[in-house]
Amino acid sequence: MQKLLLTIDKISTFVGQAFSWLIVSLTLMISWEVFSRYVLDHPHSWAFDVMIMMYGTLFMMAGAYTLSKAGHVRGDVLYGFFEPRTQAIIDLILYVLFFMPGVFALTYAGYYYAAESWAINEHSTITAEGPPIYPFKTMLPLAGAFLLVQGIVEIIRCAICIKQGSWPTRIEDVEEVDVDKLKEMVHVKDDDIAKLDQFVVQQGSTK
Amino acid sequence: MKVKKELWFGFSLMAIILATVVIFMPWSNFVDGHLSRADLGYLGLLMLALIVVAIMLGFPTAFTLMGMGVFFGWLSYRSVNPDLAVQQILDLMVQRAYSVMSNDVLIAIPLFVFMGYLVERANLIEKLFKSLHLSLARVPGALAVATIVTCAIFATATGIVGAVVTLMGLLALPAMLRAGYNIKLAAGAITAGGCLGILIPPSVLLIVYGATAGVSVVKLYAGAFFPGIMLAGLYVGYVIIVAKWKPHLAPPLAASERIVPLPPLSQTLSSRSPNALAGLFGGLSVPSLPKRQVATQLFVSLLPAISIIALLLLMYAGATAPIAAVDTTGLVQSGGSLAADSDKPAEASGLQEPPKEEGGLQEPPKEGADLKEPPVEPGQSASAATVSPPAAAASVQAVTAPAVPAPAERVPAPTWYWIVFGLGMAGLLLVNWLMSWQRLEIFKMLLASFFPLAVMIIAVLGSIVFGLATPTEAAAVGAFGGLLLAGAYRYIAAKQAKSGNAVVKTMVDLGGIIKESSFLTAKTSAMVCWLFVGSSIFSAAFALLGGQEIIERWVLSLGLTTLQFMLLSQFIIFILGWPLEWTEIIVIFMPIFIPLLPKFGVDPLFFGLLVALNLQTAFLSPPVAMAAFYLKGVSPKHVTLNQIFAGMMPFMGIQVLALLLLYIWPQIGMWLPNLLYK
Repeated sequence: MQKLLLTIDKISTFVGQAFSWLIVSLTLMISWEVFSRYVLDHPHSWAFDVMIMMYGTLFMMAGAYTLSKAGHVRGDVLYGFFEPRTQAIIDLILYVLFFMPGVFALTYAGYYYAAESWAINEHSTITAEGPPIYPFKTMLPLAGAFLLVQGIVEIIRCAICIKQGSWPTRIEDVEEVDVDKLKEMVHVKDDDIAKLDQFVVQQGSTK
Repeated sequence: MKVKKELWFGFSLMAIILATVVIFMPWSNFVDGHLSRADLGYLGLLMLALIVVAIMLGFPTAFTLMGMGVFFGWLSYRSVNPDLAVQQILDLMVQRAYSVMSNDVLIAIPLFVFMGYLVERANLIEKLFKSLHLSLARVPGALAVATIVTCAIFATATGIVGAVVTLMGLLALPAMLRAGYNIKLAAGAITAGGCLGILIPPSVLLIVYGATAGVSVVKLYAGAFFPGIMLAGLYVGYVIIVAKWKPHLAPPLAASERIVPLPPLSQTLSSRSPNALAGLFGGLSVPSLPKRQVATQLFVSLLPAISIIALLLLMYAGATAPIAAVDTTGLVQSGGSLAADSDKPAEASGLQEPPKEEGGLQEPPKEGADLKEPPVEPGQSASAATVSPPAAAASVQAVTAPAVPAPAERVPAPTWYWIVFGLGMAGLLLVNWLMSWQRLEIFKMLLASFFPLAVMIIAVLGSIVFGLATPTEAAAVGAFGGLLLAGAYRYIAAKQAKSGNAVVKTMVDLGGIIKESSFLTAKTSAMVCWLFVGSSIFSAAFALLGGQEIIERWVLSLGLTTLQFMLLSQFIIFILGWPLEWTEIIVIFMPIFIPLLPKFGVDPLFFGLLVALNLQTAFLSPPVAMAAFYLKGVSPKHVTLNQIFAGMMPFMGIQVLALLLLYIWPQIGMWLPNLLYK
């Protein structure tokens, strides 16, 4: 079971990471467009559409990836104080109550939304000769589907946790605040911090 | 047990919310099945109460919002026409989701986030902190002041609270403890400084607010600039006062800590003259010394002078150019009418207040204008750091360099120009006279850490605020700049390490940095933007149910004055900052507050500035202050969380003071946007 969960995690992660490279191309494209417009005096009419599409695709497709890394923002007032089992029960209920209907509705509606766009061969109307927009709209149900699958994985995780009393492991990933990496970056070792304690203790004793 | 207490408190809060809702809900009408408009409105309020409870339970907010929005939206449609309800809610939902996907304001978020991660990984914070604390060594509480300034600059460029606080906890906290600083003061300076990036543009918070409230992000940036500087200034002022008043809390640096080791060349030359400039000039004619090195050193030490002169020349060109001939073609394209308008008010006030307004008149690159304003302040305030005026000038010069001289038909230079000219020349002489060998070394360090970052921030902000580029474009170019910055610093590091081919190592490093940064960017933007997807569905459902009307009627029935309303709303936001994150507060609650603003005659822009300042306090208010936990994670084990909280309290007080100041004198925030966009 755990193997299956991790495989799906890996798929979500792969998809999310693959699409996350769009940020690099987005940066380069806009930078080039700015250069082209102001210096070469040669703006491109499709630039705005492409920008939006890259951005939309980027974050939509990263949704499942973020979920698989437990990266979606949650109110951490009480959650952190719960026992893992309590956490899992709450999560399980709310996944079934909120997540599943919401994301399913999004995917379902998105499917027809995209299908209509394909049917009429829809093009962007921001400029006269706008690029086709149906591939972009397809991202909506696609992202929803990945999210749905990942959501099922999370539900199973909750179930496992209720049974075991502890959360099953996840695959490691880059973290926003990776203390060890930051320590290495500024050349601080744990010993140095431990040595500092004497100053702290000293201060405490003088008071 | 402490943990139990927290839980009890949370649960009782939830119970109170639910009980209030249950008691006041008109249940009898629901049972009948005849839902009137007002009943639906109450349903909306029920939804709002439920969402707060659900968020407190800790489920990912984006999906809570989505699920609840769909359910209640469906209820609302069903009360009108049960047959169409499902189709209607699905349509609404997908439209809302797509509108977030194609939102041209939110697109700046991933780009700014990307820029932040790149800058963070450029690994310049160590140099930045060191050079700043050496150059500020004579200021009372030098280390704490340097910490706040470093935080302000670094947090502005990266906008990642956790990383900034952790890094400063690793760098500044040991330095301050060793120097005998009080733990509370040190912890307060780090946590408060690390949160400055939330407010000072380019901040993601302001983009999120702009997208939610429909306020121009450009105006928000222009407006938040001075409040942000003011807050940082108040922090610095507080630290200086404490250091002066109670020196045992922040003892001055020992003389040995201030000395900068001189390179061998400077040591030989320093015997010839105490002044670096004179020494280097003399050194040029000494045959025994390597000429190229001396010349390079001379060039570096002349940089302030060169930039001041270049600036004065540019200003002369601008001041004497015929106003009508100002080439604004590029500006009109991007900035619309504001480019043409901005000349006049700037010019008028320029006559009264010479040193500040040069920018208004300056010619082609409008960036010049914004560049000049920020530097004026450091130049005046940090008198101890004599390197500042040239420093400021250097940053200006770097960006204004490509300016073209004005075309023919010059007008005679106005009086203010000559006053500025005199000041500039005096500054130039002063700088060169004060340029000792020590200061030259510090200046070189600043040149390698402070200025690149400052120039980047100012260029990004300047081009946005002066209408040269949209926030999106500026963010992209900023991210590109961050890429170059990371590459440059990694290259220098690789060169110094002298292990293998520096270029190859840099490329490998840079590849890793880009990979990590893009993955993190994808996760962070997915988090923020999915929250937007959820909240846009949620707020659509809320509007459908008419909950907004009920709240509006209720608030208006209270007969509040504008002042009372503002106090109440800021107080509510402050309280909400305890259980919720700023993203949630903005995307869920701002749609409720914003429609009330016109009723009380409050500018949504001004309200946004107050909210941004207010939410800063959320990061510093225990028990959920994230900054404190990040700092605790890297501090020695005898530093307790309570000490950190106690240290944050005075800074929180300063934030409240700043909020009051901004409320009493809205001009602090509104002056710049009004000047530029009216």
